[in-house]
Amino acid sequence: MSVKGYVRNFKPLEILTEGQIEQIHAATLNVLSKTGIRFESERALKLFEKNRCKVDWESNRVRFPASLVEESIKMCPSQFHVKARNPKNDMVWGGNRTYFQALSGMDIVDIDTWKTRRPTRKEYYDGIKVLDFLENVSIIPWYTPYFGFKNVPSVMAMPEGLAARLRMSGKFTAAGHTKGCEVFNIQLAHAAETELRTMMAASPPLTFYEETVEAAYRIVEAGFILLPTSGCVYGGTAPATLAGSLVTSNAEIIAGIVFAQLVRPGTRIIVQDYSFPQNMRNGSPAFGAIEISMHQAAFNQIWHWYGVPTDGAVAYPSSKKIDYQSGYEKAIIASLGAVSGTNTIWIQGAMYGELAFHPYQAIIDDDIAGMLGRFLEGISVNDETLAVDVIDEVGPIPGHFLNKAHTRKWWKQEHYVPGVADRLTYAEWVKSGQKDILQLAEEKYNDIIDNHKIELPLTPSQEEDIERILKEARDYYKKKGLITDKEWEDYQKDLSSKNYPYE
Amino acid sequence: MAEEKKEVLDNLRRAIYEYNNELAVESAKKAVEIGIDPLEALDIMTVAIREIGDAFGRGELWLPDLVGASDAMQSAVPVLEEEIKKRGENRESLGIVVIGTVFGDIHSIGKTMVATLLTAAGFEVHDVGVNVHAKKFVEAIKENNANILAMSALMTTTCVEQENVIKTLKEDGIRDRVKVMVGGAAVTEEFAETIGADGYDPTAPGAVELAKKLVEKA
Repeated sequence: MSVKGYVRNFKPLEILTEGQIEQIHAATLNVLSKTGIRFESERALKLFEKNRCKVDWESNRVRFPASLVEESIKMCPSQFHVKARNPKNDMVWGGNRTYFQALSGMDIVDIDTWKTRRPTRKEYYDGIKVLDFLENVSIIPWYTPYFGFKNVPSVMAMPEGLAARLRMSGKFTAAGHTKGCEVFNIQLAHAAETELRTMMAASPPLTFYEETVEAAYRIVEAGFILLPTSGCVYGGTAPATLAGSLVTSNAEIIAGIVFAQLVRPGTRIIVQDYSFPQNMRNGSPAFGAIEISMHQAAFNQIWHWYGVPTDGAVAYPSSKKIDYQSGYEKAIIASLGAVSGTNTIWIQGAMYGELAFHPYQAIIDDDIAGMLGRFLEGISVNDETLAVDVIDEVGPIPGHFLNKAHTRKWWKQEHYVPGVADRLTYAEWVKSGQKDILQLAEEKYNDIIDNHKIELPLTPSQEEDIERILKEARDYYKKKGLITDKEWEDYQKDLSSKNYPYE
Repeated sequence: MAEEKKEVLDNLRRAIYEYNNELAVESAKKAVEIGIDPLEALDIMTVAIREIGDAFGRGELWLPDLVGASDAMQSAVPVLEEEIKKRGENRESLGIVVIGTVFGDIHSIGKTMVATLLTAAGFEVHDVGVNVHAKKFVEAIKENNANILAMSALMTTTCVEQENVIKTLKEDGIRDRVKVMVGGAAVTEEFAETIGADGYDPTAPGAVELAKKLVEKA
């Protein structure tokens, strides 16, 4: 089974007028040249200075000329090929294609108590198995399904997580960066013969810290895909207005693009909108808010105009349970992202922002993805779909279409059948035990864990390389003092468990 | 001859799996022509449709497949039945069912599903269609010597017609000869009891189980 990308066959939603886009663009250029962006990285500052930027070495601020900004944006390919570990799962990002990606959470949640806890190694691996199975998951990103797992020191969570994803799936994956772990991540990707995507996240407002910049250097130099992103909060780390927050997030992302194109011209970029309104009661991001969709719709439109692929629909719910609220929050954000033409949509798995992931949630969310994918494909109108011949053959009652070859051929192409949603009649539902969506997801989960086989598992020599790289990383962080003795002891026990690496 | 026979029977089976009405009729005629026992030919198709019904039950096949297979079989059955009569043979089956949607109601899908699944389970099924008058049900029961009458009604305004059919059976003196089962979206267990039906089930696979039970009791 290859991953499912959907081709949108209609014009995307336009929330802005052409004039409004130009205004936002002009304001962005103004901020980039007048206010500038702070880069806490000496080598980046030198690079910018050498390339027509004004650098204020006191405040580490870079002011970008409009010409450099526009040249850099033009250097981003508007569509590009993305190589997954299993070639069947390669993708093309950009244009009118949309892919869905899993949405991670820090911990796992207990379905009976709705309390969160650290997942076990087995739960981590099983979570990936589910994402590998789900037909609308095309990307299994960084720290997915969970941020880490029990008995693994936090500094090793990313390399261990990446290794788990490479072992359990041939789908495209990504890796984050912390404490220089991208060095090991890049090695792991090479060992498994896959490409990676890593984010370059601004620290809003208008700042990039050294660790981020260093990681971006490594990823861009390795020839991988960079995802510049701004995780701004409107009213906190960005203006409260949607237009103003679009300007600051644009400026931050564009600074990342200029950086990447200076380091390696032609670098493949996908830009991400990872922004939220501020919840003015408690200061946290207001997950699930409708303004997120407005921001993302504008973002998708602006970046279409720039001609850069977009990652403009992050469907975080605010709900802490798998319930009605999480359903509508995810569906609204993902739907509006889809119709506004984003190239990727994050949806399967997460609860309350990134608080938790649950495989049942991912299974349920996959149906939302399938429905939206079907919608994006639009309505095919041609002689065969217009069906004039079969309409004539059937005629009025007692004719019907159910027994026609035309129906047998077309219904499966034209009608999306959900993987788990309850579509029974009331009578069937009563007869089959009145199961709700959580029970149906649980059944599906058990079936996947028992029966799903990973296509194209790692070869023994790839596996050997991966284990060697992980060992190097473990020793490196132990030597650096980033793993305590107690952590090391637990970790060693975990590594010597009977079914390592699976449990 | 043996090879020709094998080819004809293979084609009959294939006609069901490929939902091919023309091939089904053509192969049934050919079977009669070369002297294949019509019961054997019918049996081949029944096995095929049972497999389709089972796959439908497991969720591997869908309604258009079920109806397509049923259509193919229904188009071949009259050819074989005529030959069975000619030879004076008897079809062995779990029971003989007359099925239809009642007068005033033209919904056919639920009724067709039940008819197909009953056929698959080994019943001899006579589908008298939709918008069927009470008198026509009575005639069909007599003509086919049926022991089950299955009636469908989808609307609250037409399910009362089921009661009228039962009344007509009584007037005609054949109520005791048949077990009456009713179904359709508007029908409930309670309603079925009120009108004096012998059984009701809300789902098509359930209707097959019900028919089996009713035949055992008879």
